[in-house]
Amino acid sequence: MGEQPVDRDTASEIQEFMFREALALDERRFRDWLAMLTDDIRYEAPLRVIREGLAVWDLSPTSRIFDDDRQTLEVRIQRLETDFAWAEQPPSQTRHFVTNVLADPGDNPDEYEVRSNCLIYRSRGTSPTPSLYSLSRKDVVRRTEDGWRLARRWAAFDQALINAHNLSILI
Amino acid sequence: MNTKPESQSLAAWVEETREGIDSGRFPVRAFNDQAVYDLEQERLFSKTWCFLAHESEIPHPGDYVTRYIGNNNLIVARDEHGEIHANLNMCRHRGNVMCKAEMGNASHFRCSYHGWTYKNSGELVGVPYMKEGYEGRLKRKDWGLVGVRVDSYEGLVFGCLDPEAPPLDEYLGGFQFYLDLYLKHGLGGVEVHGPPDHWIADTDWKICTENFAGDGYHTPVAHQWGFHLGYFPSSGSTHSQGWAVSIPGKGHGIGLGHGPNFPPFGGFPDDLVAEMKQSLSPEQVEVFSRTRTAVGSVFPNLSFLMQPFSLEPGEIGVRFVTMRLYHPVGPGRMEMYSWCLVPKNASQEYKKEAYRAYTLAFGQAGTFEQDDFENWTKVTQAAGMTMVRDVDFPYIMGMDSAPDPEFPGPGHAVVPYVNDTNFRNLWSRWADYLAGEV
Ligand code: FES
Ligand SMILES: [Fe+2]
Repeated sequence: MGEQPVDRDTASEIQEFMFREALALDERRFRDWLAMLTDDIRYEAPLRVIREGLAVWDLSPTSRIFDDDRQTLEVRIQRLETDFAWAEQPPSQTRHFVTNVLADPGDNPDEYEVRSNCLIYRSRGTSPTPSLYSLSRKDVVRRTEDGWRLARRWAAFDQALINAHNLSILI
Repeated sequence: MNTKPESQSLAAWVEETREGIDSGRFPVRAFNDQAVYDLEQERLFSKTWCFLAHESEIPHPGDYVTRYIGNNNLIVARDEHGEIHANLNMCRHRGNVMCKAEMGNASHFRCSYHGWTYKNSGELVGVPYMKEGYEGRLKRKDWGLVGVRVDSYEGLVFGCLDPEAPPLDEYLGGFQFYLDLYLKHGLGGVEVHGPPDHWIADTDWKICTENFAGDGYHTPVAHQWGFHLGYFPSSGSTHSQGWAVSIPGKGHGIGLGHGPNFPPFGGFPDDLVAEMKQSLSPEQVEVFSRTRTAVGSVFPNLSFLMQPFSLEPGEIGVRFVTMRLYHPVGPGRMEMYSWCLVPKNASQEYKKEAYRAYTLAFGQAGTFEQDDFENWTKVTQAAGMTMVRDVDFPYIMGMDSAPDPEFPGPGHAVVPYVNDTNFRNLWSRWADYLAGEV
């Protein structure tokens, strides 16, 4: 992270980008969402493991819930566009609540490291019991000629034992 | 609908179920019922060899993981001499939990209630106020952690609560031949890529065990997207080809799906194939070189799957192996543990590639996994309905299929791969346990 704080205009542009990105997911505009990603996107969610208090890690260095790049995210979206993505038929209702957005200068001049909290509410069909996922995110966004793009999504679930029969949504 | 009197005892229901299996019928009720669940805890999980951990999860002295057999929480630890022990995760003094973490490293476990201390092997070594309080009446050797029998095969550590049960070797009964397909990848064997994916689902553990005992029948429909987009190197129309093999009287079963035109050992790196030919027997090479997808269950609740996944439609792709444990936590509810096994000797690049294929296909956000659980939770829901309490499912596929005399491996091998033979074997073993006959 650089020394310079991020100016207010940039910070608010980044925040708006994060909100629009979440909106595209909740409105199931997956092609729009893909367009918001850089070609070299890394999309990762490390696995949380419950260990003793002083353990050196509680997010697995090797295990991932999502371990995607542009190509595999395309596969996920292509799948959702077929008639056979049974896990999303009928589609989940999701709402991404993105808060505590903090932007800091990133490693490259056009990049910013963005920390945020994300709470995802997900309900399925007529079930009265929703799934809730709370995540801490450390993303990288990049300013390009075509506007802001997500270059990295890194999100850690705040739960080790996910209480949902599947994860057919994006985080 | 034929209704049976409410007064029918559980024992009578189990007997009727046993008879039904022989004629290809199995009751819906088995998949979501409190009484059946309780009987499984009492008669099945207390007697079978249950999977605990892969040795590579606890490679160093002091490494431990906490796991379950039935509703019993166990500490599986490697002691200071390298030996693996499983002990009940309960202090012998007043029952406090010893290890609250899922994994860690410790030479000793110290109870947070009154301070009794045990070696990681389970031996009681420290008792505060020993002299003043117990005045010589407490013998430390009598009050170690409650131990459980352990035994292993090719890195798979199993535990058994029954001291009288036959050894693991006999329990597996020849299924080792097929387990090698997942475990002998190169001369170094396999290791876990990391801690297991872990999630909870309103699904009965038996539905998963059955599916993985070789349900090739669901693949072209449940996973149609993979065929449709070309990411799964097979075609729906040829998908029935291959063998279904079961070990009679043991409950284990495997489906060995073939892909016409699929190259021998396709999807494995060449150097690994060369090593596999050394580590496997000629019979195993004959069977496995033709296998595209292998999906098998070790009775009662451990499963494996090996299949290629391709990111380039039409290409062979990369093979990955997943190992999964279905831990029952209530009627119609389970905790899923899912590991990715990678060849120990393979390059980091290959391990990473295989792991990424696994997460995309069979991790908890995996594109195949998602659809399976969507189906399985619905089956479980249905099985809990009162109207279907006395309804059976048909298990009559391949009822008369004779064993293939040419097949070089042990067990009962039938063609085609789409077959209920493995499931009949699985449920009849399950029913033997519930009847108290094992
Ligand atoms: S309960 Fe463990 S020392 Fe008392
Ligand atoms: Fe499946």
